[in-house]
Amino acid sequence: MTEKTSSTAARIADELASCGVKLVASLPDNWVMDVIDTIERDDRFVHVPVNREESAIGLCSGAYMGAMGSAALMGASGFMTVVYALTKINYTYEIPLFLMATLRGMAGDHHKHHVSNGLYLLPLLDAIKMPYQIIDKPQDVALISRCYRHTRTYVRPMVVLFTRDLLRGGH
Amino acid sequence: MNYVECFRAIARQRTGEIVITSAGNSSQAWWLVTRDSVASFYLDASMSLSTMFASGLALAQPELKIWAFMGDGAFCMNPGMLMVERQMNLPNLTHFLVSNRAYGGTSNAGLPNVGNNDYAGMARAMGLERVFEFRSVDAVQREFPAVTAANAPGHTFIVLEVEPFSEQEQKMEQPPFDGPELKFRFGRHIESLTGCNIFGYRI
Repeated sequence: MTEKTSSTAARIADELASCGVKLVASLPDNWVMDVIDTIERDDRFVHVPVNREESAIGLCSGAYMGAMGSAALMGASGFMTVVYALTKINYTYEIPLFLMATLRGMAGDHHKHHVSNGLYLLPLLDAIKMPYQIIDKPQDVALISRCYRHTRTYVRPMVVLFTRDLLRGGH
Repeated sequence: MNYVECFRAIARQRTGEIVITSAGNSSQAWWLVTRDSVASFYLDASMSLSTMFASGLALAQPELKIWAFMGDGAFCMNPGMLMVERQMNLPNLTHFLVSNRAYGGTSNAGLPNVGNNDYAGMARAMGLERVFEFRSVDAVQREFPAVTAANAPGHTFIVLEVEPFSEQEQKMEQPPFDGPELKFRFGRHIESLTGCNIFGYRI
């Protein structure tokens, strides 16, 4: 963890805590490992590593019905697997859910196995009419609170998408 | 063991537990025997997520006792859920695996590896300690109180070996609620029990 990525992870954790998030359910992506490690060590959160991304959707939705603030953290590939869970649980019952995912497959991501995420992630979000906010700079981490509150107004899920420049530093 | 009679026996022994049901048959059977419209959340067609949903609720409200039903069709889709449940080890959560050895919600279509699946064994292999199996209504009536009344140190996993729905039972009514109505009925009940604030405003 570099000083810069550590600082970004801490800002994300502080922003989540300021929203009242207690439960964070996560699956890893290399880009969010600093965020996961930071949350795991932070007593303000109950961090639950899950077996697959859909489990995070179920956990956080149940926590909402118990009045506990929550967030699901995952990579773009994992997000691509949760469409049914989101539409079935969060759209059908109108249960708010706050998600954080990586914006993979864009310029600067040299991993060929993320090309499909670059091609289809944003069109998929548009297709299911799920609002998203791209967060590209450390000073924009404060948008997390606005997006979290929007899930409560919109009573459906919303995702913030972290770029490589935010999580790993731009170059 | 007859599916509906098993659920009747369990419902008779319910003492205020909050219930989450899964897709298809468990929702139909629980609705038939309880007609509960406030303290049960019918998480229809959730494709394996009823116990994860229940775990989130159990974590958020530790003073509530939560029962979560799931068919073995849903379980086969996501058995790794038990790893998460074991890790969380919530003492107020009981996971009922309703083993009818079929995809009951889709007209008893065949399950993979159905003759060999040892659900209790899988649970023990993932480190669960409070694992129980019931194969008859008599056993449910006789032993269930001791299983659920114990001061459990961690979460409980119960396998119910039942017969699949008959063709007639498949026609049983589904819980009739629209999603948002169920959310509010259930959520307002949780608020009244605990004093928590789920929706951000009270009526």
